[in-house]
Amino acid sequence: MTMPIMRGRVAFIFDEINFDVDQIVGVKNIKITDVAELAQLAMQSYDPDFAKSVRQGDLLVGADNFGYGHPHYPPMKAMRHLGIAGVIAESFSPGYWRGEVSMGFPQVSCPGILGFVRRWDEIEVDWAAGVVRNHSQGTETPYEPLPQADAEMIEAGGLVPFLKRQAAQQREQKDHAHVPGL
Amino acid sequence: MGYTITEKILARAAGLPAVRAGQDIKAKPDFVLAYDFPGYTDVYFKTMKEDFGIERVAEPERFGIFIDHMVPTATAKEEELHINTRNWCAENDVPLFERHGIGHQVAAEVGYATPGAFVVHFDGHVSQLGTFGTLAIGLRRNVMEAFVSDTVSIRVPDTVRVNLRGSLRPGVMARDVFHHLVRRLGPSSCRFQVLELGGPSVAAMSTEGLQTITGLAMFTGALTAIVNPDPVRLDYALPRARKKLDPVSSDPDARYSAVHDIDLSDLEPIVVVPPTPADTRDLTEFLGLEINAGYLGSCASGRLEDLRAAAKVLEGRRVKTGVSLHIVPTSQELMAAAAREGLVSTLVEAGAFVSSPSCDYCFGRIATMTAGQRAVSTGTLNVRGRMGSPDSEIYLCNAAVVAASAIEGRITDPRPYL
Repeated sequence: MTMPIMRGRVAFIFDEINFDVDQIVGVKNIKITDVAELAQLAMQSYDPDFAKSVRQGDLLVGADNFGYGHPHYPPMKAMRHLGIAGVIAESFSPGYWRGEVSMGFPQVSCPGILGFVRRWDEIEVDWAAGVVRNHSQGTETPYEPLPQADAEMIEAGGLVPFLKRQAAQQREQKDHAHVPGL
Repeated sequence: MGYTITEKILARAAGLPAVRAGQDIKAKPDFVLAYDFPGYTDVYFKTMKEDFGIERVAEPERFGIFIDHMVPTATAKEEELHINTRNWCAENDVPLFERHGIGHQVAAEVGYATPGAFVVHFDGHVSQLGTFGTLAIGLRRNVMEAFVSDTVSIRVPDTVRVNLRGSLRPGVMARDVFHHLVRRLGPSSCRFQVLELGGPSVAAMSTEGLQTITGLAMFTGALTAIVNPDPVRLDYALPRARKKLDPVSSDPDARYSAVHDIDLSDLEPIVVVPPTPADTRDLTEFLGLEINAGYLGSCASGRLEDLRAAAKVLEGRRVKTGVSLHIVPTSQELMAAAAREGLVSTLVEAGAFVSSPSCDYCFGRIATMTAGQRAVSTGTLNVRGRMGSPDSEIYLCNAAVVAASAIEGRITDPRPYL
């Protein structure tokens, strides 16, 4: 992947396994469509000062099977609005993973991440090297390579740009294959 | 080393001689299914035209659209969504199944569950087509790829094999088998993999029971579930099949990432405790807990064997005053069969509210619960707010438990009633 390194602080660690991301904004708020309003509501039951403490580029860390249940899009829309640049978890639930990757939101499966970071550590995901580095502790650990299409989708910035890029490539291949006069 | 049924289906769909788990491929789905829902189909239709310049789909027979949510409509906006869907299907010559029942069941009835076929949808419960040896995967929004191009980009999944042996005792149903699997294997045991059901007891299991188990596969983390099709399943699926394909099965020496054995004769009725489908417990731990509502229906349950179990429990008895029991057969075909058997009159005479097929009870669009209320349900899911207020509770269980609990107004063991 040719994506720039993703560097930020660990803004929060969700250490609950099978974490249901709808809890981030609360199920009663899940139908709110105004992202600024969602962002204000986000994390109220975990850390009321979250919105104030988080910075652009910060990252979230999760436990095993992050996103299990029946995940909706508003919680991570709120998180992106607050500046969160991606999620690194021990492992992900496929429904959540697909949903967020289709939004172009970086998700990194990294077994061992819970033991590798503390809250507010400065970390980075180096896509070219395939590692997560913890600058606060001077350590690094590999993450699981992404399926090719998922990596391309994140790189393209989401599903529609990915599909457009793919359609353009297919047109190009067709044009090359067609030699006039033969 | 042999191949799994999943590898064989995907190799054909990718136009390759063979594929292996872990390989990134582009595979052409034999069928692309969807139900109309805001933010999904309306977005696909618009994106196809506006972003990709696709005025008409090239092969309309590969598609199937269902209207099963918001049926019947309650607002003008919902009706407008359906009108938009009807128009798109008419313009594209794409088959539309409106009010036939819940799409995942109807898909089997009308032949999209072609053995050996590769099917995509956005909704993961389409996995139940796996009963017939069809590889059916829910891609969420990414199913848009199948609307704007011939193929979808996927990684060939690994397979977890679960062998079933023994036979179920009275009062224990397919729902119990599935939720027992979640308890035994864990809610992430099959993450990004295929759950393949096999073993000596599969042949004896009902097709409906297999549809229940495969349809819920996502709660083990699986992308889908599949069964190597046997004569019973082929007898159902082949005459209806929409495409001529050779059924395929896993080779005896196929490679599995894990193999588990489940003895069905050990199983007891379960409940799945809110607010997560991961929390399977013994029914006996929760007996006596008061309930306000019962729901028997959904794409997972609501078929004849569920209706029969409920009718057996409710025959000659009454739903407790103050408890609302909603019974929603999964499809029109099944509802008509239940009526012919006399099940509908038994249920109605017992005080059940029996409705025509619709997805709407399962997600609280109707029969909405308010704060503090509690339901027993055969719906797909028990997360907070699924059937109304985030402060209501859903206990998932089998159809007989729903019926017995509705009689007593509290969570009840159905076995004395059977």
